Amino acid sequence: MKVKKIRGHSRKDVLLLNDMGLNVMNKVMSNKWIIAIYTLPALLLIGVLIFIPLVLTGYYGLMDWDGIGDMSFIGLENYKNAIVDGKFWSSAWHSTLLAFFSTLSLAIYLMISMILASKLKGADFLRKIYLIPMLLSSVAIAQLWIKVFNPTNGMLNYVLMKLGIENPPAWLAEPSFVLFAIFIPILWQYAGFYILIYYAALKNIPESIIEAAKIDGASPLQIAYRIKLPLIKGIVKVTIVLAIVGSLKYFDLIYVMTGGGPNGASEVMASYMYKLAFASNDFGYGSAIGFLLLIITLIVTVIIRKLTATKDEIQY
Amino acid sequence: MSKKKALSLLLSALLFVLVLAGCSGSGDDNESTEGGKNAGDKKTVKFMHLWPEGSSAQHHKIVSDIVADFEAEHKDVTVDVEVLSNEQYKDKIKVLSTSNELPDVGMTWAAGYLAPYVSGNKFASLNDILDSGLGNEFVAGTTDAYAIDGQTYGLPLELNIVSVYYNKKIFDDNGLDVPKTYDEFKEVVKTLKSNGVAPIALGNKDRWTGSMWYMYFADRIGGGELLTKAINREESFESPALVQAAEEIQNLVDMDAFVKGFNGLSDEEAKSMFMNEQAAMYLIATWDLPNYTTNEDVPQSFRDSVGYFPFPTVDGNGDVNSFVGGPGVGLFVSEDSDVKAEAKEFASFFVKQWGARAVTDVGVIPATKVDPNELDLPQMYEDVLNDLNNATNLTLYADVQMSSDTAQVHLDQIQALFGKDASPEEFVKAHEEALSKE
Amino acid sequence: MNRIGYYLLYVFLAIVALFQIFPIIWLFLFSLKDNREIFAGSPFALPTEFRWENYQKVWDGGIGVYFWNSVWITAVAIILTVVLASMATFAITRMQWKLSKLVLGLFMVGLMIPIHSAIIPLFSMFLKVNLIDSPWSIVITYTAYNLPITMMILLGFYYTLPREIEEAAIIDGCSVHRMFFRIILPMTGPVISTTVIINMIYNWNEFVFVNTFISSDKYKTLTVGIQNFIGQYMTDWGAIGATLIISVLPILLAFVFFSNKVVEGISSSAIKG
Repeated sequence: MKVKKIRGHSRKDVLLLNDMGLNVMNKVMSNKWIIAIYTLPALLLIGVLIFIPLVLTGYYGLMDWDGIGDMSFIGLENYKNAIVDGKFWSSAWHSTLLAFFSTLSLAIYLMISMILASKLKGADFLRKIYLIPMLLSSVAIAQLWIKVFNPTNGMLNYVLMKLGIENPPAWLAEPSFVLFAIFIPILWQYAGFYILIYYAALKNIPESIIEAAKIDGASPLQIAYRIKLPLIKGIVKVTIVLAIVGSLKYFDLIYVMTGGGPNGASEVMASYMYKLAFASNDFGYGSAIGFLLLIITLIVTVIIRKLTATKDEIQY
Repeated sequence: MSKKKALSLLLSALLFVLVLAGCSGSGDDNESTEGGKNAGDKKTVKFMHLWPEGSSAQHHKIVSDIVADFEAEHKDVTVDVEVLSNEQYKDKIKVLSTSNELPDVGMTWAAGYLAPYVSGNKFASLNDILDSGLGNEFVAGTTDAYAIDGQTYGLPLELNIVSVYYNKKIFDDNGLDVPKTYDEFKEVVKTLKSNGVAPIALGNKDRWTGSMWYMYFADRIGGGELLTKAINREESFESPALVQAAEEIQNLVDMDAFVKGFNGLSDEEAKSMFMNEQAAMYLIATWDLPNYTTNEDVPQSFRDSVGYFPFPTVDGNGDVNSFVGGPGVGLFVSEDSDVKAEAKEFASFFVKQWGARAVTDVGVIPATKVDPNELDLPQMYEDVLNDLNNATNLTLYADVQMSSDTAQVHLDQIQALFGKDASPEEFVKAHEEALSKE
Repeated sequence: MNRIGYYLLYVFLAIVALFQIFPIIWLFLFSLKDNREIFAGSPFALPTEFRWENYQKVWDGGIGVYFWNSVWITAVAIILTVVLASMATFAITRMQWKLSKLVLGLFMVGLMIPIHSAIIPLFSMFLKVNLIDSPWSIVITYTAYNLPITMMILLGFYYTLPREIEEAAIIDGCSVHRMFFRIILPMTGPVISTTVIINMIYNWNEFVFVNTFISSDKYKTLTVGIQNFIGQYMTDWGAIGATLIISVLPILLAFVFFSNKVVEGISSSAIKG
């Protein structure tokens, strides 16, 4: 156990406190009963409701099953098929792109949150407005953006044509544009979610630290980059993981807006899995894809956590 | 400390009891939804349909009336109804079937949709009720789409045929006549195009919409049987006529015959373009007839200006009396139902009552026989019913004929063909591969 | 920063605000239109006539029951999630035990399961314990599926809590439970408000689980009310818009309330400064 500095105590006090405190602390804070009481309810819930389905998904992945008749065991056949399934890999690629751009967009959210969390007039009001899109269900958001992207009556093409572009693209019908077109509403939908988290984290920074920096003559940019950012590093890491995991299993808007089309140009792993299991009656194969999705997500998460891990992890 | 520990243990335990007991406690309420085992002698038939009150008010009302009438006639049976929207319905049936919990009576689609349920022994054969008289009520041949190896597993409720609907006003304004041949049709497209009118509304995000275009070309070029034979493996999908049909699709695409961005538009969006007079033609099935005849929400002036014509002949080939279409949803009875006799009784009762009211009240053309002379119907309905009587061939929608995974290949390929991501040769090759894998 | 910089900043913020607020305005206009206007006209065109009957239609569809179910299911699931997640996060981040990293890992894996591969196993499990068509199946599913994300958000905040507070509390003879409920929980007020908002939005808008596990009308929630207007061949979009407006209002109010808490909580927990 490292000896920690405690402000406002003399060195002697600290030693005294540590001696006595550590003993009690260690005893109390490693009480097995208490740990069990605090973690078991949550563990039980996710164990039953998430891990059993998860194991079953892997298990169904070993079956030839249409979800209707009898199933038959076929070993790793489905997983082997997936490895050579071009459609699966193109959907995995689309999901990866989505994850990449979602992670990049975190920088924009972070910047906006920094501005909002500073003592700007009207920031509180603006913050509430910024969070509005996240309140709406995906059904509503999809309908709105389908209308924005409509090739003939849509708002976007209306503006583009006013700007003199004669034949603006049909955004959701062009295989080369559709993924980017769909990314915009996703970016917009999640703005509120991340701004909310960042804002709470930034507001959690003790005012005194920032005041001290100001007195030292630090500019707002320096404060943001040198002081605030390191202090909320933990949260930023969490949001990176959330953005990646969320993107890799993303489904809602894409399914409503394009159904994965045209011809698979916007298919992502989750929509491909859904189609296999529910539309193609290939429940075994769909489950295998679902399980692979999970494995891929897990691997990416571990890599990300290794990459972002730093030695000076803030652990008080 | 120990007191506190006990307290917190108690608290956690309470939480669990709350969750678990709460669950099983309220589980008691759902006895009413479980088929057949109710207290007393009353039996419950669980029935699922896909016509919610909000979007399909008249359908919903007829169903409720039929259920009420049935319950009045069968005092010992209650019908427990669950309504879901189309997509939710399909998903839920899927989930229910994995746990062997299908409703006693529900709705199914024909051929490819139904096949796995039959081979998985989930649907009951309905030959007994068809043989005892009900069979005569149906238009000849409509129950075939629900039959496998001589056993019929579904009782169709609708019968639709696909035609080209067009806006007479736009045609008149551009000095156009109804095209009889594909050459004339192409002239119509060219004229409209050069006059700045979008010729054809198509929402190919849904894919079955484009499939209907392809099917008609296949029918006209290769004859009414060819596509079905190719799907049944009696012919190759790579036969020249099916390649040519695909070429014609791409010719139309090259002519800009379809509205801009059709591959990203839903059928609903395309329909609204047609109905807002932003496109001159629209290929759709007769389920849309109310919009062009009786639906009061659609302006009278528009309804008056809609006409329809059969898909033209191509290079002198084809028969305009050969149609794409067929029965839509039908009723199934679950094989594992505890109340199979009552369920069959209800299904057969439903079909009879439905047939009598569907046309007049909802504007649905039922699969049971309708005498147009006895009913006061809009002219367009009479025309359609006459077409049906004169039909020489009715080709069931390709995606319904095929098994579900081949259907997905077909539908994706349709989008690729229309989007020119696949050449006609690639298009037929992909079909041939998928079909021969079965 | 100079004056011009400030103006530019405000212009930028205002433009972003415009982008973020327009869905509500659009949705409101949408809810007063009929299908023809919705599809043909510009999204921001005013309706030719204000079709309040869309709201009447929705109301007549018996939305009241759905509404109440949405409220209580959402609320119960949020309380369960936030309490259980806080307890687990506390034990994982603040207490000393060997398996804490592993357990944390388990919760993180829970984040990764795609719901469509979970619903079929869940259905058969609930069927076995007679929980199908019971609102409790929904409550515990929401709780379980929101636990991981809630814990992830809590985690970063728990790590930054100064250990001195615990030490002081324990030396003063305070029990762990007392410390957790009286000191730690109130201190995490702002982040709890954040997770409440997020949970609220997820639970309120969820429909895959409800559609799958619930079949009786008396247990269905608002999102199912929307499904009511989606037809086999025709969909009543105006009514869907009205349902969406009705369903977004309470959550908007709750959101403003909790959103204020995010700030209030911080000033009251200024102990840390």
